[in-house]
Amino acid sequence: MSQYKIIFTGPVGAGKTTAIESISDIPPIKTDAVATDMTKARKAATTVAMDYGIMNLAGGEKIHLYGTPGQERFDFMWDILTIGGIGLILLLDNNRADPFQDMKFFLESFSKFIADTSVAIGVTQMDLSNKPTIADYHSQLQGLGFKPAVFAVDARVKNDVSLLVQALLYSLDPGLKDHE
Amino acid sequence: MKDKQTKPLQAVLHGMDGRTYKTMVMYFQGPCKGEAVVVEEVDGEVDIVDLDFPSGKSALDKIRSQKMRRPVIVLSREEVSFKDVLYVEKPIHLATILSVLAQARTLIQQQGWSKSFDILPVKTTENPVSVAEKKALGDGVEIKKTAKHKTAMQMDEGSFSAFIGMITEIDFNDKDQLDKAFYSPKNYFQGYVTAAVKVSKEKNRMLQLNSNWKPLLIFPHSHEVWLDADDKQLRAFASLEMNKATGAKLTITAIDPATSAVREKMDKFYDIDAFVWKLAIWTSKGRYPQALDIHRPVFIKHWPNFTRSLITPHALQITALLMRGPRSMLNIVETLNIKPQYVFVFISAAYALGLVGQAERKSDELFEPPPIKTIAKKESKGLLSRILGKLRSSK
Repeated sequence: MSQYKIIFTGPVGAGKTTAIESISDIPPIKTDAVATDMTKARKAATTVAMDYGIMNLAGGEKIHLYGTPGQERFDFMWDILTIGGIGLILLLDNNRADPFQDMKFFLESFSKFIADTSVAIGVTQMDLSNKPTIADYHSQLQGLGFKPAVFAVDARVKNDVSLLVQALLYSLDPGLKDHE
Repeated sequence: MKDKQTKPLQAVLHGMDGRTYKTMVMYFQGPCKGEAVVVEEVDGEVDIVDLDFPSGKSALDKIRSQKMRRPVIVLSREEVSFKDVLYVEKPIHLATILSVLAQARTLIQQQGWSKSFDILPVKTTENPVSVAEKKALGDGVEIKKTAKHKTAMQMDEGSFSAFIGMITEIDFNDKDQLDKAFYSPKNYFQGYVTAAVKVSKEKNRMLQLNSNWKPLLIFPHSHEVWLDADDKQLRAFASLEMNKATGAKLTITAIDPATSAVREKMDKFYDIDAFVWKLAIWTSKGRYPQALDIHRPVFIKHWPNFTRSLITPHALQITALLMRGPRSMLNIVETLNIKPQYVFVFISAAYALGLVGQAERKSDELFEPPPIKTIAKKESKGLLSRILGKLRSSK
């Protein structure tokens, strides 16, 4: 049986674990550990392996939700994680020093996966820092040759995460109906 | 306490980001009791520079290089050594800033704008802005704007008509009537709002749109509007056609801080785009903007920020389709097999934000748009639909 999965990625503290928690039907399996490196400045605990959640569909199918570890030293895991993936959700923390640099880094790192599937971008922490704006992200993306959905997202809010995943699915196929 | 006869000091802010700018506006209105008011460059009596922002230093250098200039107040965590500015140490204490504003006022009255004057340190701990107050006025301001940060409402076909209210004069099932299912935004409140927002952005000035209804305040720096009305009231006003007599009563003026109730009603702030989007939906009621031809292709620049917008039925689907390339509105109706009013209302909202336009390239009209090509693997198409169904059903 095929393993269907949606990948959540982004820098440390962008809300990947929380986003998975928002739409998972099971309490997500977290692999957080006390941060001891530079990450410590941003959050006390960080994901060192991956997060995992499940969406149960009618008929018994399961969609696996994987969150990549945010730290770059774990990037060797990213290629393995994406095998069989439906698409990519990239979460960016608007409160970080250079969110555009983060965006570029992750889009490049997952470029092959994105080319084969699609990506939707959620910008978190916009209530704390409203600059750059969503329009600024679109301007940057235009220069990079991407035209994905970019939404302001509160990872704790199920509806926000749900809309982001819906945009990813429609990007894959605008003809989708939700009752098939 | 400000003397009621005294006009607020007209302050111009420099070097600050949007949030700090907004906080200062609130701070002058609130704790400072209108002692100063933030105005545009041309109207200013005093310049206030925050040196702790990267652009603060260059702003100060520019001001200091001018021959004729206004009094300058510098805000910084670190003491400044310039002799020709008034210095306020951060975090700002209420008594300190009030005292410095009074000194600036005195300098203006003495017509000492271009004179150098010694630094006038004002050290007092009286009435300090407490940490809690600072949070409420500073870091917390953005979060308090509950209307602005509310997540989107995603409507299905069933709830849409009841929520929006459709135009009953048009039979959308009659293809011949679709050509006439347009409206002109400029004949409604929507048109006046978009025009006022445009002026506010171009002039980079806070403006107030006055009508025979409630004033709409526009804040271009933070990309927000403020309106003391609920959705029901706005929806009703949006649908009223402005005849010439009503239109003449609509004016654009500077914001009057004395009459503004902004600081008491933080839940009335809206992101400009989300507000205009919603207004266009309630004005359109299923019609399309007159400036667009339903038979010719339209393009979309990028995805709207759907998580902070009112989502009309099939809006994500229409966007995803248009992101693949321009199509006419009628082609979208046919391709997605959805009702025309859902396409028209979405196009109206996106057009109001400048996201949608008529494709001008002749090549876009040369060929029929291709059928939808899925990126997803064949066997997973049904699966994607089931994921979608799951997400839509478990809001």
